[in-house]
Amino acid sequence: MGYGDYLDGEKLIVTVATTGGVHGKDANPNLPEQPEEIAADVRACEELGAAIVHVHGRDEHGENDASRLQQVDDAIRDRCDDIIIQNTTGGQGPLEERIEGIRTDPPPEMASLDLGPFKRDRHIITEHTRRSIDALALEMRDRGIKPELEVFNGGQLNEVFRLIDEGLLDPPYYVNLIFGGRAFTIPRPRNVINMVENLPAESAFNVLATGPHQVPLTTLGILLGGHVRVGLEDNLYYDDGRLAASNAELVERTVEIADRLGREIATPQEARTILGI
Amino acid sequence: MACPYLRYRASDEEHEFDHERPYCAAMGRFVSPMRADVCNDRHDFSHETHCDVYRRAEERTAEAADAADAVGESVD
Repeated sequence: MGYGDYLDGEKLIVTVATTGGVHGKDANPNLPEQPEEIAADVRACEELGAAIVHVHGRDEHGENDASRLQQVDDAIRDRCDDIIIQNTTGGQGPLEERIEGIRTDPPPEMASLDLGPFKRDRHIITEHTRRSIDALALEMRDRGIKPELEVFNGGQLNEVFRLIDEGLLDPPYYVNLIFGGRAFTIPRPRNVINMVENLPAESAFNVLATGPHQVPLTTLGILLGGHVRVGLEDNLYYDDGRLAASNAELVERTVEIADRLGREIATPQEARTILGI
Repeated sequence: MACPYLRYRASDEEHEFDHERPYCAAMGRFVSPMRADVCNDRHDFSHETHCDVYRRAEERTAEAADAADAVGESVD
């Protein structure tokens, strides 16, 4: 994928990441945590054009709880028309917990697949060994779940090539390029272009950029023919100093930008076609 | 074993929530979901090893005890 795809009118897949596993309501009270609350947010985002929702589970205290994914998925299916559910298998828990993301009933159409560790706080390093990556990739393939390949920094792009070489992925490969302070690829436009130029053949890509980089770098991703992820998981603010009022507010802005740039928004069904689901 | 500074509260001076949330009594504020795993010693985390806030709070407590001993007071 690249600028040519933008010129050719490739439709834009918008993913909304409503909740995440990092922030709580103390950081932004509009961040949804409970199943019905998340589902209501997802419905609003679907109506605005989001084709995929990236899902995390939280317990009643707002703490990460993969066992709540089932309830969240059920609530989303009840409220929404057709949005693609993408459960997380990331986070700092052990593989036995993270694998819950691909064992819901029915399985999600997509799931995230972290391709390596990253640092949080002073002592937290998420554990994503090649053994756990391969186990998740294999089970996703067996269950017909499309992996979103989470590339937290440049070196992890090598893991995409490794998984392809070892026959663990089916094309098209959906690579999520992640930019942001501290743990992720340094958020500069030239790095987005560089990462896109280094993608394997038969890839589609998504741009995820944290905090103040969300708007500029996802906009660049739109121009480069890629897809975008927005939402409160990645960015708590609408602009400098003003907390976002909702996930929908962030999705709405992205759809407006895409419209001005001439990218049409993909429906969930069109997203399935693009991603080979 | 959870951190002794971990509390569950539904409000502080800035926030009010429907449910009780993890609150660090040493920091005097709510903690993020990721930090709550350290507070609760989940996964392979230990608050004694991995939380600087806990360690600083314990150091302050120890220093206060030492100072009290020096003047013959009790901090119980």
